[in-house]
Amino acid sequence: MNSFHRPGTGAISADEKGSLTRLVRVELLKLRTTRLSYGLLATAAGLTALFSVLEASRAGPGKAVAPLYTTTGLTAVITGGVWALLLAAVLGVTVSSGEFRHATATQTYLATPRRGRVLAAKAVAAACAGAVFGLAGYVIAAGTGLVFVAARGYRVPVGDATMARYAIGHVVAAALLAAVGVALGSLIRSQLAAVIGVFVWAIVIESLLGGLFNAIQPYLPYTAATTLAGSPLGGAAFGPAHDAATAAVPLPFAAATALIAGVAILLSAVASRTTVPRDVT
Amino acid sequence: MKVIEIRGLTKRFGPVLAVDQLSFAVEPGEVVGFLGANGAGKTTTLRMLLGLVRPDAGTATINGHAYADLSEPLHQVGAVLEASSFYPGRSARDHLRVQALAGQADPSRIDEVLELTGLTGAAGRRVGGFSLGMRQRLGLATALLTDPDLLILDEPANGLDPDGVHWLRDLLRGLAAGGATVLVSSHILAEVAQTVDSVVILDRGRLVAQSPLADLTAGERNLEDAFFKLTKEASR
Repeated sequence: MNSFHRPGTGAISADEKGSLTRLVRVELLKLRTTRLSYGLLATAAGLTALFSVLEASRAGPGKAVAPLYTTTGLTAVITGGVWALLLAAVLGVTVSSGEFRHATATQTYLATPRRGRVLAAKAVAAACAGAVFGLAGYVIAAGTGLVFVAARGYRVPVGDATMARYAIGHVVAAALLAAVGVALGSLIRSQLAAVIGVFVWAIVIESLLGGLFNAIQPYLPYTAATTLAGSPLGGAAFGPAHDAATAAVPLPFAAATALIAGVAILLSAVASRTTVPRDVT
Repeated sequence: MKVIEIRGLTKRFGPVLAVDQLSFAVEPGEVVGFLGANGAGKTTTLRMLLGLVRPDAGTATINGHAYADLSEPLHQVGAVLEASSFYPGRSARDHLRVQALAGQADPSRIDEVLELTGLTGAAGRRVGGFSLGMRQRLGLATALLTDPDLLILDEPANGLDPDGVHWLRDLLRGLAAGGATVLVSSHILAEVAQTVDSVVILDRGRLVAQSPLADLTAGERNLEDAFFKLTKEASR
């Protein structure tokens, strides 16, 4: 029965599920034996700590950041965790574009000639690693906030349920952005160009678009990811978008998740029809 | 059944006709030299055979199937295409762990192939610091992990020192004695002449000759003379 099966024409057989699981394990092993993965995680942790401490130390009555006994103040500190989201996307880019940078795509495709499966396995593996980035970002950012709250003798202004939602939001957003990164790195095979693309899109383009057109701000994928992680709308943006007095509200959790997953699926579909089948010379 | 069968294979890169209506076959257990000058189309042919490059026309099959349709391809075919395609930050052993998992090889094979290729002492070192010759050995180790019956080697002697070339020759002879089929490309004719049973000669993408080595060199001083005579005739 399996011999008649073609991918995309029906349900996945047990055999194919097994092989996809193995491919994900291969990609996870590649990530674990790559120093770049650890370097990116360390960078994410370092930037999160730096920005969280900066925000926390600028917080107080009449200061740039609202006092840490308010939800706004503590949330501003936890927003430092969005660096982990951004670095998770970069990790995703390296997972796919690295195969071309180091010409390892040849060996990968010799082992698995069905390239669509390789792309799917990379997306899943990068999402797993991205989840770790998200968790690390949350722990560092929230931990920093709570340490400052305790040190100043305040009561924690944010409830446990909300904190849990921020934690899950960090994990989900970073995982999905890593999958988006994989798709982007498959489309733009140049690693440097794709990494620059991630930063320019997230920091420049979304800040510009969000500042100019407040109404679309909740629907911008990176912005939606940051709101999943608990950042206020525009909280992770630069320029006018940062403090835009806007009537727009962040997307609900499920809608934001669906939006980012949709971007990952759309970009992957485009990549698997355009760049992925190209000759590997 | 033929192990390799190539029929009417054609590939054009822009204005360059890299491979032109190429047809040849390889029988089980043969060690075949795939010869041609640099740019003759050898690598492109091998990449089409391995499903990495899509032909404009023609077919290339292994054991009767296109590469993409082989079940567990690495258990049927081991290929070494380029000596530089390793992630530089990974150790040789970690590289082989990844490939063993991808190719469903027994992890105990890792130590065996390291030993076989003389890399045991360098297994923990990062591949980025390897010489070209060591990379060639690691490429061979990778191909041998899954114990395939067919080996496809693109210029495997590149970067090997005289000891390495000698070692490679012994390795290929050993594999052939064990019944493996080998297609080995080279532009260094002397190196191949001592190893192969027959040759396929390519010139500007076209087949110039396929014959047992003995027939080809009959009446010539050596393979080199026969090669130049044939390619000169073909270009007339």
